[in-house]
Formats: sequence, C-alpha cells, structure tokens
Amino acid sequence: MSYFLDSFVAAIALVTSLNPELLTIVTVSLTVSSTSAFFATLFGVPLGFTIAYAQIPGKRVIITLLNTLLALPTVVIGLFVYAFISRRGILGPLELLYTKNAIIFGQFILILPLITALTIAAVSRVDERYRKTARTLGATSLQTALIILREGRFAIAAAIISAFGRVLSEIGISMMLGGNIKGFTRTMTTAMALEYDKGAFTLAVALGLVLMTLSLLINVCFNLIQGKGTK
Amino acid sequence: MNIYHLEHIRQQFRGRVVLDIEQLDIEQGKIYALLGPNGAGKTTLLDILGFLNHPSHGRLYYQGRMVDRRSKNEILTLRRQVVCVDQHPIMFSTSVYKNIEFGLKIRKYPSPERKRIIDEVLALVSLERYRQAPAHRLSGGETQRLALARALALKPQVLLCDEPTASVDSENKTVITGLLKHINEELGTTILATTHDRLQAASLADHTIVLENGKLAATIYENCFSCKVVASQDQSISAIMQANLSLPLVATHAALTGKRGRLCIDPFAVRINQQGHSGQKALILDSTVVLLMQDDEFIRVIVDIGVQIVVLVPVEEYAAINLQIGERVQVTIPPRAITIFPID
Repeated sequence: MSYFLDSFVAAIALVTSLNPELLTIVTVSLTVSSTSAFFATLFGVPLGFTIAYAQIPGKRVIITLLNTLLALPTVVIGLFVYAFISRRGILGPLELLYTKNAIIFGQFILILPLITALTIAAVSRVDERYRKTARTLGATSLQTALIILREGRFAIAAAIISAFGRVLSEIGISMMLGGNIKGFTRTMTTAMALEYDKGAFTLAVALGLVLMTLSLLINVCFNLIQGKGTK
Repeated sequence: MNIYHLEHIRQQFRGRVVLDIEQLDIEQGKIYALLGPNGAGKTTLLDILGFLNHPSHGRLYYQGRMVDRRSKNEILTLRRQVVCVDQHPIMFSTSVYKNIEFGLKIRKYPSPERKRIIDEVLALVSLERYRQAPAHRLSGGETQRLALARALALKPQVLLCDEPTASVDSENKTVITGLLKHINEELGTTILATTHDRLQAASLADHTIVLENGKLAATIYENCFSCKVVASQDQSISAIMQANLSLPLVATHAALTGKRGRLCIDPFAVRINQQGHSGQKALILDSTVVLLMQDDEFIRVIVDIGVQIVVLVPVEEYAAINLQIGERVQVTIPPRAITIFPID
C-alpha cells in the first residue's frame, strides 16, 4: 500500500515541480490531439452540416455508415493507416511512420466520423422554422445556412470538445503510428503504458493525474457549453 | 391593380394534391382573410405566395409579371418584397435588436439607418424596453409582436400572416389586429392573414378567401362540419355529423353516399321561427338560442340544433322575431343552404 502511496506523493511532486520530461509528454499529447481535432473540425463540421442540411440521395445510408465508424477500435485505425504509411505502403515515400503527423492522421480518421455524426445530429435538431424565417426575411442560401449553423453552435462546440477528449485519451493509434519515441511521439497514454510495463508507477500516476485534470476541464467546458445551449 | 394573379395553381406532395386553385386575384393594398379548416391548404398557399415553395403546376403572376421559378435571383428579389409571419414565430437566439437587424443587414442598410428603423418599429409594437433582451425569452404575445416588427422593418409590399392571433391572449389579439390595420392603412401593405375566426376575419379584412380541401370554396366559412353521407334502408340519405347528429339531405347529394366530407350551412339562408319558401322540402329543427350579437347590419344568432350553428338575421327581420337567449325556436334549413365538399 505504501508503495502506491509513495508513488502518488512522488507523482504530485513531479507535477508541481513541472518536471521537463512530464512537460514534454503533455506538450506532445496536447499538440497532436489539438491538431487532429482542428483538422477533423475543419472537415467534419462542413461535411456533417452538408449531409444534414442538403437534400442528398442516400442520406440514411451515409448516416448509418458514420454511426458504424464511431465504434471503430483505435487499433484497427492504427493498423489501417500503418498499411498505408509503412515503407511498403502507398504513402511510404512520405516517411510518415513514427512521426507526430502519423498520429495526427490516425486520430483525424478516428474523430472525423464522430464530429460529422454529432454535427448531423446538432443541425438536424435545429428547428425547421429558422430556415423558413431566414428565407422569408430575404436571406440567400448561404446566409440561411449560416443561421442554421449559428443556432446549432452549442451542440457543434460540444461535439468538437467531445472529439478532443476522445483523441487525448486514445492509445492504440499513438502507439502503433507514433512508436512511443521519447521526446517526439511519446504521448501521455503511451508513456503511461510504458511506465506500467516497467513497473515504475511514479511518472504513470503523474501523467494520469494530468490526464484526469484535463478530462475534468474538458467536461467542465462541455457542461458549460451544453448549459448555454439549453438556456 | 392585382398584386398576385394565380392560374391553375396546384401543389402536390408525394402524389397528393394539397392545393388546387383555378384562378385567384389578390388586389394590392387590401387585407385578405384566408379561412379554412386545418389541412385545407392555407399554409401551402401562403408559402407559394411568399415564394418559399414553388407550385407543382400552374402560373403565378406578381405585379403583372409571371414568376420564373428557375431564376434564383428573381425569386430572391421577390422574396425580399414579401414577408411571412408564422403562427408560432421563432426568434434567432440573440437580442430583440439583432433579430430585427438581420433582414436590414442582408439588404445592406447602413448602420445609423438600421438603428432608426429598429427604434421606429419597436416603438410601433411597444417593445422598446426589450431592445437588448434575449428575443427567445419573450412571451407568446410579445414574440408575435416582435415577429411583426421584424417583418415591418423591411417595409414589405406584402405581409403574409399565418394565424397571427391564434396563440395569443385577447389583449395581444386586439393589439395585433390593430397593428395589421395600421400597417395596411399607413404603408399600403397588402396583407393576407389566415384565421379560423370568422368574426376576426369580418372585422379585419376587405375580402375573404375560403379554402376547403385545397380548393377555393364558395362559402363564407360559417357552420362547416365534418360529416359522412349515409343512405338508410328507405333510400333517404343523411349526413352524420359530430355527436351522431343526423341531418337529412335532398336527393341531389346521393352521389356522395358513403363518402366523408365537409358540410356547410349558409347562415344567411337559415330562418328562425319562419316557414321556408313554398315548394321547398325544408328541414325544420327544434333548437335553443345560445348567443346573440350584432355583426354590422345583421344579428348573429347562435342556435343549438345538436351542434351550434350561426344564423345571420337582418336587423329589421330580427326586430320582428325578437329572440331571447335560452328561448326554444324552430330553425328552418332550406336544401339550398346545405353544401357538401367531399374529402378525397
């Protein structure tokens, strides 16, 4: 028991002393997660909006497919992307394997369906009368679309936060595509797994504390935004 | 001058015809009341007139020019001259001020001009104190008034209101009715408002349009009831209405046997305590006077024959029969007073 307690005390000391190794790992994690969330937002929100808003054939099939992709395990995505970016893969010459970009690419694939599906849900929930009102007040198609987007903004923001939380806590993609290289591709989750394998709990617990704190912050933001949306 | 001219307008949704108008003219600067039961096609007609939906068939003329549904620019230009106000208007989740500003910004009004117009219309609907309040927090009546202000700020040629007073209290009803009259008189805006309230229509509108089952109906939308036409063993036919009230019909309605429809009784043709004209097989029913009220040169008498029907009695005729509320009377309904519109 004292072993775990000692590890916990040492972990708090690591966090409070702003240990350089810990900071590097947290920075890598936040960098790759926020970059992948940014690009997934850039593609996922307009894609989700278009699917929900426009009259396109096969809409139900697309939504079913997206919902299926939500359940895709991270290791499957890792394996899939690995096949493309490994030396023998189509994208092999780009030498992406075991780089941050590889993790970002994998995480992008992981959360793109999530952001798209949640944006579809958010836009579909926007009252149809907003569209009619905007049009009768003289709005063009683009202006009407912006009004719908505006009215669904809280739900869309919640979707992005949820996706960010998802990539921050994933391990399969980071491990398989990043290779857990110290100082370069070592993220919080891969570092924790390594420390666990080594039987050294101090850094693992310290990273766990940071991850939990970040998760808490994300959830606080999520609740604040959702609360605003329901007011 | 006619602002709208409709020719053979038909609207279909999934093969079902919901609106079928042979011809309709809407005169500029007048107020029209659009009456009809639920599902009669009132909102569908408003959406077509507001250029929000294209009709499946037919020609629509606006200010003498045929509307080209393929030209997106033309439709947008026309849409900016006509504003629809919903029965339950929805406000953008921002301030009252910004809600009104939306349409003005789209039309590229300069900021000082926008401010002046917004202040003007807010004063008109008495909502100045809510200028910066969140618009979606207003009460039903205030929301309806704000929706009118939002529309008025754009100085539309035509204002289309879908049951503007259906979901507001009597005080707001008076305010909104007054506002519509004011807009029409001061700005010359053509107004078309749907309503179920025949009295409101009479007090507000210059003209009345009645829709029944998607078609223009030659009734005044009084005494309209759902019914089923049935034939008895002795081949006589009758209309079964609500509460199993059976109204005998003349043989001319035999073709409708077995069908459902809307039965309308002309309130001008019904007589109280008087015999029908000779030669007519009029229906005579015992009833009770429920309500009496003046409606211009008529007295509106509501009698209970199993369902409550309106009888419009000329003032001079009323003086002779002098009715009292609660009085038992005989109501004479001549066959020509009954019209049945079959429901497909």
